[in-house]
Amino acid sequence: MTSQQPDLATTSRVFDDHQRATIEAAMARIIPTDDTPGAREAGTMDFLNRYLSGIDYIYAKPDGSGFEQLSGKRAEAWRQRIERVRERYISGVRDLDERAGQVHNADFVDLAPEHQDEILRDLEQPSRTQEADLERARTTLYGAPVEPALQQTSAEVDLDFVPLLALHTRQGFYADPIYGGNRNRVGWDVIGFPGPASLTEVHTGRYSTLDYFADDREHPGAKEAT
Amino acid sequence: MTNGAKPDRADVCIIGAGASGAAAAKVLTERGIRVVMLERGPWRTRETFGGDELANINRYNLWPDPLLNPRTVRDTVDGEFRTELFCPVPQMVGGGTVHWQGWLPRFTEEDFRLHSIVGDVPGTTLVDWPITYDDLESYYTQIEWAFGVSGRAGANRYESRRSKDYPCPPLPQSRYAQKFHQGCAKLGYNSFPTPQAALSRPFNGRPATVISAFAQQHGDPTGTRSSALNVFVPDALATGRLDLRPDSYVSEITVDERGRAKGAVYSDEDGTTFEQEADVVILACGAVETARLLLLSKSSRFPNGLANGSDLVGRNVTFHEYSAAVGTFEDPIYAWAGGGYVSASSFEFNGHDDNRGFAGGGHIACAGVGIPLPINWSLPNRPAWGAEAKQIDRDYFNHSMAVAMVVHDLPQHDNRVELDDTVTDAWGLPVARITIIAHENDLAMGRFLIDQNAEILAAAGATSVQKVYIDRITGNCSHQHGTTRMGNDPEASVLDRWCRSHEVANLFVVDGGPFPTGTGINPTLTIMANAWRVADHIVSAGADRTAAH
Repeated sequence: MTSQQPDLATTSRVFDDHQRATIEAAMARIIPTDDTPGAREAGTMDFLNRYLSGIDYIYAKPDGSGFEQLSGKRAEAWRQRIERVRERYISGVRDLDERAGQVHNADFVDLAPEHQDEILRDLEQPSRTQEADLERARTTLYGAPVEPALQQTSAEVDLDFVPLLALHTRQGFYADPIYGGNRNRVGWDVIGFPGPASLTEVHTGRYSTLDYFADDREHPGAKEAT
Repeated sequence: MTNGAKPDRADVCIIGAGASGAAAAKVLTERGIRVVMLERGPWRTRETFGGDELANINRYNLWPDPLLNPRTVRDTVDGEFRTELFCPVPQMVGGGTVHWQGWLPRFTEEDFRLHSIVGDVPGTTLVDWPITYDDLESYYTQIEWAFGVSGRAGANRYESRRSKDYPCPPLPQSRYAQKFHQGCAKLGYNSFPTPQAALSRPFNGRPATVISAFAQQHGDPTGTRSSALNVFVPDALATGRLDLRPDSYVSEITVDERGRAKGAVYSDEDGTTFEQEADVVILACGAVETARLLLLSKSSRFPNGLANGSDLVGRNVTFHEYSAAVGTFEDPIYAWAGGGYVSASSFEFNGHDDNRGFAGGGHIACAGVGIPLPINWSLPNRPAWGAEAKQIDRDYFNHSMAVAMVVHDLPQHDNRVELDDTVTDAWGLPVARITIIAHENDLAMGRFLIDQNAEILAAAGATSVQKVYIDRITGNCSHQHGTTRMGNDPEASVLDRWCRSHEVANLFVVDGGPFPTGTGINPTLTIMANAWRVADHIVSAGADRTAAH
């Protein structure tokens, strides 16, 4: 069964062609294509473009019928956040090209994948070497969280470019297809997640994962207890 | 200094419509009291919730937006405060219960008197509670039966006396719960189905809970989970005596000429301000925001904040800390099924044991590693990106599970909530500024529990196990306690044993603030039971209500 696939044709372009190609190439290194689909096939660039196109695609309506219209302080916070994130991408692309130019005398997008990985790692380094930043990133889930299932969310406006890119690539790969990525649910297929056919399935209560529970539905000791 | 028409005076004004406020509202209104409940966030209905990890976890659909509601925090004595979304809780009708999966074990009899068991712990302000397990037992039962908790009496060997079984049998056994039971059994440890805020069968006219993968940290579109929003708010509204006002942000508790709480000043969504007067004021904002509101409520009579003559408001704050050992198995575990928290637990290491070299202990339980997808999790040695990261996602998603712990961080005088002197929220008010320095006891307990959890995973047949130790308190549990601790001595506590301010006779606190210790157990059942106890007392004792007229 195919999921709801959004029509992306109407979403305005946030980046110019070069910026777009560069980010798409970088995303393809974050979740590479191997024997299974990667970021490119999942359309994570379309996901990012839709996210940063304004504040019209922040929250899908939970029944899958469209997107919420934001107002008041909430809308203002999102406008600020989108603006800051966009700027970080634009300077991130500049940094990728500058580093690629210094080392390989070419634009990032034209490098071989292993060279692109080097550039991304280089760009990641400055924040990695700063002890305090690392400590903070390690314990507060910024970007790539490092602990299992914590009860706390991340604050992406504080992220450096590479962790931000990694976070958005993961989001675009695994989030519900309504946001423009996870095309044809390839992200879910890669990890073997039998996700809902659409948000509607969850909203109506039809989506159940009880089949993935233990064959024996009773916890041990039930007999002695009764 | 308000610009809106003065609302009619209420018998009781409750600030905050989360777990404790809604529980108190139910009890009071059902006993004939007229209640106005002010909630700073929206009143959302189940139709507005959905199975969307991006919206619910990453985009602040349910969590507070850090650009609107920041906090500042430091974890060293002289460190700089940094702005962070520290220990957030959803700000809306229902509070944290809107998006939780609701692990609801009771505290044990010993949890109320750890100081008597271990004595002084240097550097901490460990004390016994002024109330005992027996003072709360009947209220535990009331909550479990009003709310609909699924569990099995007696399955927890360390459970204290209970007067009644759970209303519903345990939820079905997940594969991760099964592994946990197997590991515990092999090591001779007692384990039990985690009592949960969900219905294993229809109860009180409500259908059984849907076993979705979008549960922990997701709102419930089916309305079948047990939450303050789904249960206590409708119960209270049914009396016709609850006036629930969402989008009503309280900035000050005013006092009258006699030093009693007069009312609450709040602004609505349009910025119009009102003063709601009441005979009794109950704070239920969560321990951080309740302390903040008291500190914001300065007057000539209370220059350091309301009810803060002792300088203890905001002090002794505790947050718990959550971490886990993570195991991978050859057979599939599907630890995302049910949302990852339809679990099994053990209190084997909750009680104190002198041989372990630290005071106290905590609850351990199995859980998933994602919520549910691999968007918001990782492991210490997992690279942030690249081919290896992708491979780890594939290997772990269906084959890994966590055995997690709740660390009982001990209270310390200098761990505290204050008002920040530079950072304000989107309403222009100083935000909560938090100093939280882990005690060596907290870290030692964390190491011990993680080691035990790793052994349980290995005993259950895990082919690899990773330990994630804690090195500080990050606020990742969204549990908060201690900022208005209750006690018998006005010099050493903010509230009396009825959670009434020692200094302000008609002011009560019913969230986690009154807890003298956080214990190592998920607090919300006890918070709600205590709120019921306090509300019951307010009705029975009249609680000086007549004096205000």
